[in-house]
Amino acid sequence: MLRLIAFRLLAFVPTLIAASIVLFIAINVVPGSAAKAALGIDATPQAIARFEHQHGLDRPLHVQYLAWLAGVLRGDFGSSFQNHVPVGPELLARLPVTLELALLAFLIANLIAVPLGAIAAYFHQRRTDFTITFAATVMGAIPNFWLATLLILLFALTWRWLPAGGYVPFTEEPLRNLSMMIMPALSLGIVSSALLLRIMRSAMLEVLSSDYIRTARAKGAGQGVVIRRHAIRNALIPFLTVGAVEFGFLFGGVVIIEDMFLLPGIGSLVLVGIINRDYPVLLAAALVITVVVLSANMIVDLIGSMLDPRQVHGRSGG
Amino acid sequence: MTSSIRTFATERAAPARAAPAPTPTLAIEGLTIEHAGRRGIACLVDRLTLEVRPGEIVGLIGESGSGKTMTALSVLGLLPRGVRVADGDIRLSERSLVRMSAADLRAIRGDRVAMIPQDALRALNPVLPIGEQVGEPQVIHRGSSWQAAKAKAVELLRGVHLRAPEQRAREYPHQFSGGMQQRAMIAMGLALEPELLVADEPTTALDATVQAQVLKLLREIRDTHGAAILFITHDLGIVAELCDRVYVIYAGAIVEQGAVEAVFTRPGHPYTQALLRATPTVRTVQTELVSIRGHIPSPLELPRGCRFADRCPHRFERCASEPPLLEVAAGHAARCWLLEPGHG
Amino acid sequence: MTDLAAPAGRPRGRFAGSRHGLLALGGVLVGGVVLAALFANWIAPYSPYELNVAAMLQGPSAAHWLGTDELGRDVLSRTIFAARISVEVALVAVGVGLLGGTVIGIVAAYFGGMLDMLLMRLMELLFSFPAILLAVILMASLGTSILNAMIAIGIIFIPGFSRLARAATQAVLRQQYVDAARTIGMSDARILGREILPNVVTPLLVEAAVAFAYAVLLESALSFLGLGAQPPEPSWGNMLNTGRGFMAQAPWLGIVPGMAMFLCVLGFNLLGDGLRDFFDPHLRD
Repeated sequence: MLRLIAFRLLAFVPTLIAASIVLFIAINVVPGSAAKAALGIDATPQAIARFEHQHGLDRPLHVQYLAWLAGVLRGDFGSSFQNHVPVGPELLARLPVTLELALLAFLIANLIAVPLGAIAAYFHQRRTDFTITFAATVMGAIPNFWLATLLILLFALTWRWLPAGGYVPFTEEPLRNLSMMIMPALSLGIVSSALLLRIMRSAMLEVLSSDYIRTARAKGAGQGVVIRRHAIRNALIPFLTVGAVEFGFLFGGVVIIEDMFLLPGIGSLVLVGIINRDYPVLLAAALVITVVVLSANMIVDLIGSMLDPRQVHGRSGG
Repeated sequence: MTSSIRTFATERAAPARAAPAPTPTLAIEGLTIEHAGRRGIACLVDRLTLEVRPGEIVGLIGESGSGKTMTALSVLGLLPRGVRVADGDIRLSERSLVRMSAADLRAIRGDRVAMIPQDALRALNPVLPIGEQVGEPQVIHRGSSWQAAKAKAVELLRGVHLRAPEQRAREYPHQFSGGMQQRAMIAMGLALEPELLVADEPTTALDATVQAQVLKLLREIRDTHGAAILFITHDLGIVAELCDRVYVIYAGAIVEQGAVEAVFTRPGHPYTQALLRATPTVRTVQTELVSIRGHIPSPLELPRGCRFADRCPHRFERCASEPPLLEVAAGHAARCWLLEPGHG
Repeated sequence: MTDLAAPAGRPRGRFAGSRHGLLALGGVLVGGVVLAALFANWIAPYSPYELNVAAMLQGPSAAHWLGTDELGRDVLSRTIFAARISVEVALVAVGVGLLGGTVIGIVAAYFGGMLDMLLMRLMELLFSFPAILLAVILMASLGTSILNAMIAIGIIFIPGFSRLARAATQAVLRQQYVDAARTIGMSDARILGREILPNVVTPLLVEAAVAFAYAVLLESALSFLGLGAQPPEPSWGNMLNTGRGFMAQAPWLGIVPGMAMFLCVLGFNLLGDGLRDFFDPHLRD
């Protein structure tokens, strides 16, 4: 078991490094854009050159990257082009918001996907299955920012049950915090649940048609026992390993949703960085989100593997 | 005729037995199983009648697609979706399984009748330890606690000759070898000392030495528990070695039945004869591998007359209508017009 | 005898026809969007830029079926013209992704070894990035324009297509006719072109339909954030964005563009699912 975890963690580090390289390249795709963006279109070549030199942007790209990476590993995420304030502390302050949103969305998505997916598989090719699958297809086609708009229209503007935006930390006022988080979490969670539902259904279908389910029935087990003791855990394994990637996509949506609901999280920081053409901020925020996404991906996949004795104990044979 | 099978059959040690008990453990009567699909109704099993008496090992022999697995599943009430019993009865010690409610059937399954499937690895739940799976019938049917059930499981594993059963019970299916997995399945089947064991090709996936051990185990079970065993296979050698009586199934119908010695020494049906010819054995040197020309008819389009007619070398006009089971000798019958008195 | 294999319910096969119904629905929706995009000039009752401040923020009426926006422009017309932008961007983006992905996938599978491993690890990494994040970042550095949106989204699609192309190529390579072609001296390039490519097309087509849907979604998201089509160009995304500000007085401004996005994405998803069922029903479950 420990070997499995250690191995996965070890393999994770190069992935993170590679991801940071991709991000760095993506942001610096067009040379000189940072300076032009910060100084404006009319900036003179001299002003640009001075700016670039000042911020070390005239160094070769790989040197810039290594310097940046070294800083990040120290906890130094650079300073904003705008106000020269270090980005690091801002990231730290905003992280809990994003994590809370992601967690709630994740919970909602799974609470919908797992039972409904299992039910659809159980009633395979009957009306229940068809209804659930169709509903999932419809739900999955809804843009999450439109769903957010509709939710705001309904719950904030029409019925006035929930606030349309803003944030208060959970530790200060839990209920108020939840009232502000529920719509954003639903926007993210419901749409993601659609794909997860399909994955669960698929996993469950395969499990239900397997020989060991037949064995359980041959032993005289009732439906409930068959599902609980034999089917669910076996279905969860592929669900988690295949669904791991979808969990990543769920978290990507925080960029838009946080902005819409005025939540001071890392997602909205990405947009702040973009609007202000503040590249250190953008890069840092994007990196944090990527790390969270990749980590969630890895953790979910790991849990899936841990549930599988075939992965935990190798063959001892004999 | 392969003399070796014949010799094999007669050399086999058969424990002396008194006249069979009047009530068969398993009585299948006129069983017809159909599958309703998009292309029409397929008749998978056609008016099949067979019985297994207590303490008997009865072989059901046929090639793939002959309906033997469907027969096995129907005894357990585990026919797949779309497949149903259209006619006939299945009785377990006089209780009709066909007319039983789902709840009653569930109570019997695993308790009075158990199945030993072909592929043991796939039949075992990969995420549960063996001990739990073998002990599960106790929990389901006897309301036992898991602790007691697991202890019983260790005993059962010991009973099927698995060494270090306490350790084995804590392990997972993928950690067992093929032979061990099959033994675990047998232990699971035996857990509540059922009256009937339905073994569906349990040794097909095993190599020869392991196969011999499993067969020996089954014989032991018959001797100690007195269970009736319906052994389904396509392997004549095993039937010769293990079974008391045999039914030969072809395209969903029984074409020959009788005591193993009788059927193998004087097969009445051309199909049985062909099967015996086609079986390579260690003892005879064959100059060529004889295979049966043609293929099994599709259950969607069964021929009107004798279903073996197009592959039969002895076909004649009478074969245009389906023959009934005709006597070859006492207790031995075959479904072939060649046996009609006056035809010889 | 009751079969405990599954609970009682309507018999199977009853809903087999519904699958075709869904494919038809998808076809209708997609057809509608494509028609709107192609014939916007003829279908739309008004110009999408025509201002009529006097008639601003009016609800649906006979003159304006879907109402007017904050500058008095006809919402229906703008929605129809916005379809054009979505379709254009999606088309180019899917094209870019398809082209790049197919090339990478086929090359990786054909040459195998270290090249394959490197390429695939890279693709895997790109694939696990949240698409929105990558899109947003690429737009930030490339600059905001419709063309850049096409390129950015196209790049995001490359890993998905490459994986598919690689799998299909490997399946084809396992067939014997490629070895046969090689033995008679066909060059690698011709093998790729004549033997491998045609077999790779089918799964890619299915994926393309789904990718189209996703492209529309991404383009809408980008314009929603102000990074795609710029006003006064109508795009569902930027219409929704401005509409959001007027939700209290004119809720239809927030509902209509989103509904258009939804129907478009739904249509392409249904189409993709339907195609998949058509080509290989067994993939379904």
